[in-house]
Amino acid sequence: MDALVLLIPLAPLCAALLIGGGHLFGFLDGEESEQTTSSCANWAIALSCLLALILLGSNLLNMNAGSFSIGRWLSSEALTIRMNFITTGFNVQLAALFSVLLAIVMRFSTHYMHREAGFHRFFFVLSLFAFAILLLVLSGNAVGTLVGWETAGLCSYLLIAYSYQRSIAVTNATRVLVTNHIGDACFMIAIGLSVAWTGTVDWNEMFATLPQLPTSQITGLALCFALAAFAKSAQLPFTPWLARAMEGPTPSSAVFYGAVMIHAGVYLVCLLRPLFELSTFIMAILAVVGCMTALYSFIVGLTQTDVKSSLVYAISAQLGLMFLECGLGFWQLAKWHLCAHAIVRAYQLLSAPNLMHAVHNNPIKPVSPKIAQLRWAYTASLQRFWLDQITDWALVKPVRRLANDLCYFDDHIVDRFMGAPNPVLNQMSSLVQLEETKIGARLDNNADEFAQGSGLAGTLTQWTAAISHWFEEHFVLQGVSKGAVRYGRELGHLANKVERQILRPRYLVLFVCITLLVAF
Amino acid sequence: MNESHFPILSLLIFLPLLGALMTVLCGNSQLAKKIALTFASIELIAALAVVALFHSNNGDFQLLERSDWIPSLHIEFLLGIDGISVLFLPLSALLTLMAIIASWNSIQHLSRLHFALLLALEGITMGVFCALDLVLFFLFWELTLPPIFFLISLWGIGPERRGAAMKYTLFMLFGGVPLLFAILILSMNHATAVSGSIPLDLSFSLPTLLATPLPDSLQSTVFFLLLLGFAVKAPLVPFHTWLPTTAMEGATHTTALLVGLKLGIYGLLRFAMPLAPSAAVQYSWALGILGAITLIYGALIALQQTNLRRLLAYASISHVGLVIIGLSALNMQGLQGAIFQLLNFTLIASSLMLIAGFIQHRLGSTEALHLGGLAKVMPRLTAFYFLFMLASMGAPLTSGFPAELLIIIGALTAHPTLGVTALAGAVLCAAYMLSFTRRAFFGAITQTSVEHAQDLRPRELALLCVPALLILILGFMPNKVLKINQKTAEVWLNRLMADQPVVETGEEIPAP
Repeated sequence: MDALVLLIPLAPLCAALLIGGGHLFGFLDGEESEQTTSSCANWAIALSCLLALILLGSNLLNMNAGSFSIGRWLSSEALTIRMNFITTGFNVQLAALFSVLLAIVMRFSTHYMHREAGFHRFFFVLSLFAFAILLLVLSGNAVGTLVGWETAGLCSYLLIAYSYQRSIAVTNATRVLVTNHIGDACFMIAIGLSVAWTGTVDWNEMFATLPQLPTSQITGLALCFALAAFAKSAQLPFTPWLARAMEGPTPSSAVFYGAVMIHAGVYLVCLLRPLFELSTFIMAILAVVGCMTALYSFIVGLTQTDVKSSLVYAISAQLGLMFLECGLGFWQLAKWHLCAHAIVRAYQLLSAPNLMHAVHNNPIKPVSPKIAQLRWAYTASLQRFWLDQITDWALVKPVRRLANDLCYFDDHIVDRFMGAPNPVLNQMSSLVQLEETKIGARLDNNADEFAQGSGLAGTLTQWTAAISHWFEEHFVLQGVSKGAVRYGRELGHLANKVERQILRPRYLVLFVCITLLVAF
Repeated sequence: MNESHFPILSLLIFLPLLGALMTVLCGNSQLAKKIALTFASIELIAALAVVALFHSNNGDFQLLERSDWIPSLHIEFLLGIDGISVLFLPLSALLTLMAIIASWNSIQHLSRLHFALLLALEGITMGVFCALDLVLFFLFWELTLPPIFFLISLWGIGPERRGAAMKYTLFMLFGGVPLLFAILILSMNHATAVSGSIPLDLSFSLPTLLATPLPDSLQSTVFFLLLLGFAVKAPLVPFHTWLPTTAMEGATHTTALLVGLKLGIYGLLRFAMPLAPSAAVQYSWALGILGAITLIYGALIALQQTNLRRLLAYASISHVGLVIIGLSALNMQGLQGAIFQLLNFTLIASSLMLIAGFIQHRLGSTEALHLGGLAKVMPRLTAFYFLFMLASMGAPLTSGFPAELLIIIGALTAHPTLGVTALAGAVLCAAYMLSFTRRAFFGAITQTSVEHAQDLRPRELALLCVPALLILILGFMPNKVLKINQKTAEVWLNRLMADQPVVETGEEIPAP
């Protein structure tokens, strides 16, 4: 029975490869082949759904061995990463649930996406995503989980940027992927640390060696995994990406942010229960972050006027509660909460476009008057607590500015220092100098009668200033700056002349010959 | 070790040179192109044959060919490969083949000379990868300059192409000087070690020099001289400015060759670290910091670029930094990851550069301002660009992922801060790659020239399929590559990590 687990992620991957390859080489294109594409994707996910249910059944009958390995993926000295799967417990239950939800959404999209320009692309990405998420929940080692984790993030990027002609969609998608990439990086650090400290990436082996680790290492490892989970499940401070992600088509929003992918963080925390339970500190962090996210999402959610954006904050609030439950040690509750939430949200998001018809003439219940009076709270809620702006101010802009400075440094200092600068830039700067001279800057006359003092102290200051100015002008400025510049220019012209001579190929060949001659 | 086999490595070196001669002497330029293509294909097959002949369970040099060259100075014509160099041969051959196909129609004047130079460069590069005699290596190393100089200056696409070619050549000549000094020091040290006289007991053969202990006083000198020489070619900050200039001024397939042939780091791996082992261990932190600076510096500057070719040049510099971090970890994971990543970037960086060339050829620019909305008119080109971009970001399912994972595991085990820096570099890589993609490939079409642009032609499609498939296959089965260099990597590491700086003599080869 255990061997079936291999086919569960493999079937959608094959479908994705078929659709992707077919679309790329023009076999699957246009409306007439929509049928082929959708049935390929639907049958693949139906197969994995069926297999997952069989696996779940055999798990309930205690017929599963618990793990299944198909061999080495990578080995380097002591480090061996196998392709192995877990075939019991929560992983199988989630795989069954997710594959059922994916099958439903896939079927839903067949009609929903009909005659869309990116029909084939959509089904390619959705099948790839099905592979990624099923691998994520079934993989028996951290690297397999990371593969699923990152691929799922990538698929979400591709679907947020589904209508790539609209630049806002692509901007949001880029932001979401880069935010998620921070989480991925934390996951990767966690893997690296667990290799360094426990010597393995296999989940079960890792759990077995954990109790021997010192507390500091446990805390570090758990913190990295927790950060990865926070980023994926849109907890604070990463929450704003979720609102940006609603750009994609409705079925993809349902499956990514309602039902399946958004729960990956909670899944990771539940899976790593043996690790988190060893560190009270990280458990507290889980609880606090979860609690704060729930509060934040509740307050922001109050001012949302759009179906999808209010759902976004409902989702992050519920996820926050799940983290709170994990942090408080109610693991079973968190697991049930996850499953129930996935089902409800899948339904809600799929029916969101119809909601306006369904609630016609049925006004939204206003908030209680006590809260409604708080103007600052209203502004804060409307601005989503300025989280995006704070991130921009604290992270994005400084990095951009640093990049800008480094660019300047590279072009104007490193390049010049290394010789042969860009000649265009030189012309530009002399043009600027010309303009400045025209508007009256006395670039070649440093004498200045500006400092005029009155009284004794004033005159003394003036004299001192005059003396130091004279000193500055005659020794420092002219000695170093002007003279150096003139000298440098002369040298530069000379170098240019030499360079022009050397530039002729014959000299170059000569140069190479001389170097070679020296060698022998 | 058996030395009486068919001299296939010499064949690898001289076949393209013969092809170059035939191409340039052939009267008809159409026929010349076909001759060049045939020779490049045969070369690729020969290089694959070398991989087939290679025994991966042997960590020593294999397929040795030895004959006297300048007996008075003990300079030999010594060729051989090991697990580190063997895979560079087919990849370089593939790269040249790709460059020939990519420039098939775009070279209008002096096309015979152009294809001849490409073939000559291929032969010389093979020489660099196979040479085990330091003087022979230096000869091939310097010989790469003339073809590249003419490729940049004669067929470049920028107005300052001659200046760029000059810049490249001056940088490389500068890098050659410390190499030469280091080689002389090493060979004189050998003469001193066997207490012989200077011209009679000089030795330039790498296996012999590896077996000769280098006194501590000379270790640092030799290491830094070699590091300086190879850092220019790699390129490491601050010796990198030739690459962006060349990327802007040179033809894109030439730049693809320049970013694809990772000669600089190969030199570091082959000569600098094993020849001065205790200095390499002692200064591994400095090497790591240099790598980290290059990684972050290149990535930050790439973030500001508006031109795809310049962006790719800086991305390539940044990735060199990542590989150096892997090397400086001095453990199996870091080393194998670094070698794997080098092989990867031969494929990835050059394919991306070729794609930039396709865009340049169609629209006359790779400036983000002149692009925008390419995905609509060129879906296939965009798909391939996206795949290679993902591979360079180290996304899973591509070969970039296992390589990056290994480097990061290695770095985290050895120097945790370097590992974290490497990951910050990965996040920055996603940021610059994606933000350029957003501006150039997505969004609305703003330029009329873009509206009528043609998607990939069958020739270009076929050309890109090969590296794309390789990337996917290696991402799925990374062990294929790792197994080939495993033994050699173990020997390499043992030599560095041996308790005494004195080198073990396992690599000694019988006298001919």
